[in-house]
Amino acid sequence: MLTLILILLPLVAGLVVLGLQGRVIKRVALLAALIELALAVYIFYAFRPDASSQFSLRYDWIGSLGISFSIGIDGISLLLVVLSTLLVPLIILSTFNHSYRNPSVFYALILAMQSALVGVFTAKDAFLFYLFFEAALIPVYFIAALWGGENRIRVTFKFFIYTFFGSIFMFLGLVYLYFQTPGGHTSDLAAFYALQLSAEQQNYLFWALFVAFAIKMPVFPFHTWQPDTYVESPTPATMLLAGIMLKMGTYGLIRIVLPIVPLGVERWGTTALVLSVIGIVYGSIIAIQQRDMKRLIAYSSFAHVGLMAAGILSQTLDGLQGSLIQMLTHGINVVGLFFIVDIIFSRTNSRELDRLGGITQNTPNLTVYFIILMLGSVALPLTNGFVGEFLLLRGVYEYNTWLGAVAGLTIILSAVYLLRMVQKSMFGVRTALTEHVTDLNLSEKLVLLPLAIMVFAIGLNPNAFLRLTEPAVAQLLQSMVK
Amino acid sequence: MLSIISLSLFGILNLFLGFLKSRRVLLPATLLFIALAFAANLLDWNHQYVYFRDMLRTNNLFINFSSIILLTTFLTVAISRSFGTDEEHTHPAEYYAIMLFSVVGALMMVGFENLIMLFIGLEILSVSLYVLTGSDKRSLRSNEAALKYFLMGSFATGIFLFGIALVYGATGSFNLSAIGSYVSGGPTTGISPLLYVGLLFILAGMLFKVSAAPFHFWTPDVYDGAPTLFTAFMSTVVKTAGFAALYRLLTVSFTGVYGLWWQVLTGVTVLTLLVGNITAVYQSSVKRMLAYSSVSHAGYLLIAVAAKTPQSPSAILFYSLAYSIATITGFAVLILVAEQKPIEGRPDERYEAFNGLAKRNPLLAFSLAVSMVSLAGIPLTAGFWGKFFVFSTAVDRGMTNMGMVLVVAVLMSVVGVYYYFRVIIASYLKTGDSEPIGIRPLYRFILVLTTALTIGLGLFPDVVRQLF
Amino acid sequence: MNTNYLPSDYLPIVVQLLAALGFIVGSMLVSHNIGPKRHSKKKDDPFECGIPTEGDARTPISVKYFLVAILFVLFDVEIIFLYPWAVNFLDWMKESREMAIAIFVEMILFMGLLLVGFYYIIRKGVLNWNQ
Repeated sequence: MLTLILILLPLVAGLVVLGLQGRVIKRVALLAALIELALAVYIFYAFRPDASSQFSLRYDWIGSLGISFSIGIDGISLLLVVLSTLLVPLIILSTFNHSYRNPSVFYALILAMQSALVGVFTAKDAFLFYLFFEAALIPVYFIAALWGGENRIRVTFKFFIYTFFGSIFMFLGLVYLYFQTPGGHTSDLAAFYALQLSAEQQNYLFWALFVAFAIKMPVFPFHTWQPDTYVESPTPATMLLAGIMLKMGTYGLIRIVLPIVPLGVERWGTTALVLSVIGIVYGSIIAIQQRDMKRLIAYSSFAHVGLMAAGILSQTLDGLQGSLIQMLTHGINVVGLFFIVDIIFSRTNSRELDRLGGITQNTPNLTVYFIILMLGSVALPLTNGFVGEFLLLRGVYEYNTWLGAVAGLTIILSAVYLLRMVQKSMFGVRTALTEHVTDLNLSEKLVLLPLAIMVFAIGLNPNAFLRLTEPAVAQLLQSMVK
Repeated sequence: MLSIISLSLFGILNLFLGFLKSRRVLLPATLLFIALAFAANLLDWNHQYVYFRDMLRTNNLFINFSSIILLTTFLTVAISRSFGTDEEHTHPAEYYAIMLFSVVGALMMVGFENLIMLFIGLEILSVSLYVLTGSDKRSLRSNEAALKYFLMGSFATGIFLFGIALVYGATGSFNLSAIGSYVSGGPTTGISPLLYVGLLFILAGMLFKVSAAPFHFWTPDVYDGAPTLFTAFMSTVVKTAGFAALYRLLTVSFTGVYGLWWQVLTGVTVLTLLVGNITAVYQSSVKRMLAYSSVSHAGYLLIAVAAKTPQSPSAILFYSLAYSIATITGFAVLILVAEQKPIEGRPDERYEAFNGLAKRNPLLAFSLAVSMVSLAGIPLTAGFWGKFFVFSTAVDRGMTNMGMVLVVAVLMSVVGVYYYFRVIIASYLKTGDSEPIGIRPLYRFILVLTTALTIGLGLFPDVVRQLF
Repeated sequence: MNTNYLPSDYLPIVVQLLAALGFIVGSMLVSHNIGPKRHSKKKDDPFECGIPTEGDARTPISVKYFLVAILFVLFDVEIIFLYPWAVNFLDWMKESREMAIAIFVEMILFMGLLLVGFYYIIRKGVLNWNQ
């Protein structure tokens, strides 16, 4: 029941917001997101750390087809539910200094997005998963297309077509799996896990399913929609995309691809892993050359997610655990970094590294937060990034030494481009643009403070999360061996 | 059966209602007639009847198909406003009557048990449509469309009739089940080659009517030229009736030679999907885009026919329902938008006419968006489940047979998203300078109803599916 | 009577058809090719009783003519149905009274529909030539 409330609350709040006017919109939206967070925190503490699915609810939705509205939370879901419920209030809070046209629609779409995201992360039925997977696309498309930059229509359209292209192949794969289930057919994910598919079937299915998630994440070479979309979208949409929506891809790999087509993963895993590792290096090298801060972070996100995909595809406990904790970490860091870029942009009207510089002199607070988040992304020990990347690299190394070595470049390369970004924008000589930059105001601090706390909290005590996910991951890996 | 008889009588009644001084009674009367026929139709639920020495058969499948046809007719009539510009020369009573008559033809195509009945039904439907296509008498486009439709249509009918004659020559019967037992029982001398030729000719005639490639060339011109209201009528009712007839004919009579027509149909399906979708991308007029989209939806429906599983009829039914509702919504909005700012006396049907629609008429923009999303087959709309059921039949048939078709269908649905979303982008993301459009209460009600149906069926497809 | 015809039995018809077509085409071609051709302005003029031509060859005719023609064909064809019906009616009567009555009622219905149509035409003013 609690899970259902978790899904419905943002949706209902979104409908309420749609009917409101004026300043109260932001507050109601924030309030709803905070209640949602409180619920998620309650679930976090009430969760028994074992592999079972808890807080579940099952309702026969389309009885004649065996499709049910079946939701529940296990360790893997929990982590992502926490991620999305934590980030959405911060994203809403981050907009308090902006005034968007049609605010009621804007915030309603953000809340609808959250609803769909929580739905994706808790669905236990394959078609329900697909429904939420698609439903999440529509709000973010409209946010990006209505409030985005100059090229928004073309870019977001490309994004929409691209992701729809991927997910419809996944849909075909799911329909095929559905018809493999015995008897009157069911689309329960548990029934999909129990299927005994031949290696040939799995080879095809692997690509049908993998492509959808690879586009969402994105993995090389399916990434071409990503930088443009991140840059053209308004910052809240970018945060939603990079912070949460991207994790739908990695989550799908863990939830759908690994357990359903283990033989397919065995056959094609190395290919996919090589693609992911190419993505890491390729993304990092492009990031080093970027002048636009938003674009730089977009490419860094592309590189980071490559490592997550690699970790999952390594099919090791460390790799999976690392990718899960990295999903949380990356969500926190990337949202923080995008927000800081947005703050700088709102003060100077520029994201060009060449035109910025010397901001630190006026803004001690901003600098501290920027460096904390940057170090988290670089994976400095004691920050959150370190835990994830360490586990991930161990996992990939275990799978293949050489791939592990190449993937390890990510730490060096990310240090290069992120340090360069901070150095070029914050330090150095002041320019005409940065002369009058003011420091953080209250609402901005309120966004960045929790993020900074999380950077250290996860960095110092990753076990709080890892112990929750470990049983579910261990069970998953065990089921793959069968 | 009662629905067929009552509709014929109501049609005649409608002609005489036209003599009344007040024309305002016509629309409510026609709506009432259709509702009555709908109710009469439901009376036979769970009964099986055969009429006129095996000429017509009514069962639940017949009732389901005819209910969809009557529902779409009801919606189409409800959004009708005026026919042509000069009041003096319009004949609303006649047009309503012709619409009712054409529905009679459609119902006969759904319930036929004898090829002669199928032919008569098809002709009643087609001849009515030739007239309706040319009903905008002062418009050259409309006249051209009517003539084109008539010439091509009668040619197709001729081929169709030739096919029937050949099948009769081979089997010695017009009766569906008699043909079926000849084909599957297999006469001692082997199946006569006449039957194969006849089957191909019949297929060509039927595929022409449902506008499947390569028999689709008339579709864009005719749909474009006909008054938009009748385009909506044509692209929904004819398609539903055509597919009902096609499915019934192929499964009852020609199951024995499935291997033969399956190959033909899959080829046609792939071609239809490719031609319909890819050509739709390059259209600059929304009306033409919808015409090509109707070709492409014929392709999706053909998948279910070609798959021929026990689930096929329900898939066709659900798809037709979802498609009809969404198409009528689309055309209803198009009528209003296009008439707002005519260019040189012609309605402006370009994409640009929709610019900024969301600002001026949120309701119109929203129903349009929902219908386009449904046509594109995105989840939580009826269209998604339609696609789901259709794809399911193909997967059920087996990937070795249908895998290729499915991959094409899936790719083409992505292409579909491209052109359907252009309308949404125009109405939501671009700015226009037009005034808000005034909408009459009934029109508004129909738009709300169809939108609610599309979303409702998207959330709870089981409600309707249990009946199919 | 022999009912089993082979395709070769139709050969005489084909021969006849080809001969007829051949004669027509042949004579047209021959006369066109061997005849003398002399063009002059006078000769190429459309000639009508010595009067110079004037206006368009296609003169519009009132649509009423067409309507009446169509209506004539319509009713004429439907009356033709009555002949075989009437001729056979006595036989049906002898065979079974009930069936004959049913057939009679059906014909009454058919004629009734025709009459309704006729009334509609009159009300519509199609036969009114003064309009």
